[in-house]
Amino acid sequence: MMSSRRARAFAALLIGAVLLAAVVPLFAQDNVDVYGRPLPDDSAPYADQVWTQLCDSTRTESSLSSVVSVYTRICGDAQVFDRFGDSLVDLDENLNLIPAAAESWSVSEDGLTWTFNLRPGQVWSDGTPLTMNDYVASYRFMVDPVNAYDFVWMWQGTIAGWSEAVAGEIPPEEIGMVAVDDLTLEVTTDGPAPYLPGTLYFWPPLQAAALAEFGPDYLLDPATAVSSGPFILTEFVPGDRVIIEANPTYNGYRKPFLREMRGIYGDQLNGSFLAFQNYDIDQVSYVHLSPADFEIVAADPVLSANYRPNFGDFRTDYLLFDTFTAPFDDVNVRLAFAKALDREAIVANVVGEQFAIPAYSFLAPGFPASDTDGSLQSIQGFDCPAAQQLLADAGYADGAGFPAQELKLRGESESRANWFVAAAASISDCLNVDITVNNQEFSAYMEGLLARPTTTQFGAVSYGMDYLDPSNMLGVWVSTGRHSWRNAEFDTLVEEANNFTGDPMERLEMYKAAERILVEDVGGIFLLHRIQGNLFQPYIAGECFRPDNQGVGALHWGNDWCWGSFYITADVANYPTYRSR
Amino acid sequence: MGCPPNCGLASGKPLHKITRFEHEPISAISTNALLSPFPSVLYFMINFLLRRLLALLFVLLIVSVLVFFLMNAVPGGPFSLGERGYTPDALANLERKYGLDKPVWERYLNFLRGAVVLDFGDSFAVAGNPPVTAVIARVWPITLHVGLYTIIVSFGLGFIFGLVAAYYRNGWIDNVVTLIATAGTAVPNFIIATWLLLIFGYQIGWGQPSKWIIPPILGTGNAILSWDYFLPVITYALLPLGLVARYTRASVSDALNADYVRTARAKGLSERSIMFRHVLRNAMIPIITVVLPQIPNLLTGSLFIEVVYGINGLGKFFVTSITNKDYPMIMGLVLLIAFFWSITYLVTDILYALIDPRIRVGGRSRA
Repeated sequence: MMSSRRARAFAALLIGAVLLAAVVPLFAQDNVDVYGRPLPDDSAPYADQVWTQLCDSTRTESSLSSVVSVYTRICGDAQVFDRFGDSLVDLDENLNLIPAAAESWSVSEDGLTWTFNLRPGQVWSDGTPLTMNDYVASYRFMVDPVNAYDFVWMWQGTIAGWSEAVAGEIPPEEIGMVAVDDLTLEVTTDGPAPYLPGTLYFWPPLQAAALAEFGPDYLLDPATAVSSGPFILTEFVPGDRVIIEANPTYNGYRKPFLREMRGIYGDQLNGSFLAFQNYDIDQVSYVHLSPADFEIVAADPVLSANYRPNFGDFRTDYLLFDTFTAPFDDVNVRLAFAKALDREAIVANVVGEQFAIPAYSFLAPGFPASDTDGSLQSIQGFDCPAAQQLLADAGYADGAGFPAQELKLRGESESRANWFVAAAASISDCLNVDITVNNQEFSAYMEGLLARPTTTQFGAVSYGMDYLDPSNMLGVWVSTGRHSWRNAEFDTLVEEANNFTGDPMERLEMYKAAERILVEDVGGIFLLHRIQGNLFQPYIAGECFRPDNQGVGALHWGNDWCWGSFYITADVANYPTYRSR
Repeated sequence: MGCPPNCGLASGKPLHKITRFEHEPISAISTNALLSPFPSVLYFMINFLLRRLLALLFVLLIVSVLVFFLMNAVPGGPFSLGERGYTPDALANLERKYGLDKPVWERYLNFLRGAVVLDFGDSFAVAGNPPVTAVIARVWPITLHVGLYTIIVSFGLGFIFGLVAAYYRNGWIDNVVTLIATAGTAVPNFIIATWLLLIFGYQIGWGQPSKWIIPPILGTGNAILSWDYFLPVITYALLPLGLVARYTRASVSDALNADYVRTARAKGLSERSIMFRHVLRNAMIPIITVVLPQIPNLLTGSLFIEVVYGINGLGKFFVTSITNKDYPMIMGLVLLIAFFWSITYLVTDILYALIDPRIRVGGRSRA
């Protein structure tokens, strides 16, 4: 037995220790985030954990959520949209699907029913729990014809009843998407769709209650905005600024170190690099860097060390034809054009080898089912004498009698337009045919391309993936797609592969066979695969930059988890950034 | 020779040849004036204003018809944004949502019905699809702010420069003013803006928020003039400043060489009196002719100035609403511009009459 004096002393010591334990962290760990986590050792004070990007002040804008619109997202390049919830799945740096809001998923034996299990404990900023009903409400919103969603094609022919609901033949409530309970979502598909989880990765949900009460624009007003994601809206002045801050109630898989993200509007195309050099913004996408800007970046060791190339969306630039009318209804003519294109010279001398690699097929290296062994390379590879012979075989020896062509471009920037000017020159020089280049306005080009019969006899365009599966990239070439090229064998192969539930490797072989048909039948002439990239300020750090299995440390397309890893290092104090002004 | 043979000597107020009013139907106005129990000048003015306002409505109607049908004839629509395009069902849904599923003539009539009560519809391209009038009401004051400063700077400095250059014509001051005026009109403002941004915005760090030239009058009010406006106003003002300076110099020089100025000097009038009572008054007519039409441009903004300097104003919508195929916004802005130009010419005509009493709207003079 302790004496009472000792007992009192012990009690006092205990209370003191408890008080000390409570108070010391307040002093020792003053650099903590909104979740009480200490920031990384080399981070700047929490007050400086702000990220700013430039938004394009000339674009059409409608929403901060991809559920409302994909093509007209606010600050579309500035990464401040879709931060108000988590998609069911995400991609890791190697582009493998990883759990996000859903902790697991499975598919029935017949491949027609998918079950997603929501990670428990996730809440909205108003305190209500995040449930699968929110996801169901969001998908029903997208499919409802009244809302005229601009990305409905994503699940047409995939989710059961989706196409019928878009056409207004059945109500949105009847699509194959049901919340079995608060934490379980069941998705039924028209046929086996092994790629389905990948299509669900960039649609954070809207809150069903807010959607019902305020409509989809509730996210545009801080007074009505709620969030189950890492950030919440604090200010939105259309055309001026968007400010979001860390959501303290967020309980998901990507809690941010960043305290605030800002999108400020300006001359994104011409002003991004200037703003970056002035430390007004923290990141610039490669599309907003001119060739002259890149020369500056390349010459500066700090800038070049912080330019991080990546695969991006595996975008391929290519030439296309109206293969239903002469002269491009003749495969010899198409192949002649393909073999007259000196891709290596164009990439080396016009584009720059750091920004692209020559393309001989549609799927870029690294993309599933791509031509990794180079077996397709010789089909469309540059061979001017062979090209001339093919054109002669088609009845246009030395280009004689070949109708003058206009190569239409889709509102390309000046530097990208030069790629296609060089492509036209290469073909023209080799085949002695007359080609002029017409850089059309974007929507006028698309209207001409999609018209049936098309008004684009000869054009150039690019395409990048929406989800990491060949069904997406090759799907654009099926006869119901955007091109005036048709090959029944190709259609059948792609369709069968899309619904194939057997060995994944066998499925990829089916896509490879389909792509071979595309290349041999010259549905398009493949010019280059882009190497994309982002220029970051030197004081940006985070796990996001850990190397992938190719050794590339970058912000990859679709790596939404990255935004939970970025932080501002203490090095920011050495730069005259907007934070210190 | 700056003056007709009989000008100036009798009244001391020489008449410049103004052809603009010679097309007005004098007979109709005269007949109305005879029937009026009111003094003819007042009646004449009211009659003129009413006719011009009616003509303005007619102009707006014609402009609206032309623009509405032209913009619908242009290839591409507001929804041709996707990489893949839309399926027919999806496109039909979009067109239904924005009322584009109806025939063009029906849409025009719907537009016209709304326009009568200043309802131009909802913007397709601004977040939340707000009414066009709400967008204009929100962003136009910002553009007006820049525009008014620009008018003050360009018209004020341009007039002074032109006046001084004319007075000291062919001297070094004249040469300097001519150089500034020529540079202002010849160098595109996107070149000027880039240099100003590079020198002042980037190197010196001007253009930062919360740096006031004239701070808010009330502690919590808006600033009267901040550095935020400095670079855009300078960029924007150089062209009209050059124009005003050049025309002021030319007009004042003509007037200074005129016979009536020589006569006034011979009569012993002071230089100040000559300058303000004779020279400036006569020089104002050509200046007004050139300068006033600059005002609608300056008050409705410029895409380039606003985008480069990050001003959330109205100007950028003039181009972006067209490129984005934002039909309601296009119509609202075109009518706003047409209205402004019509009003500007009306005001110009009235100012002519005020400056030279012998010039009468409708071609009727007091003499």
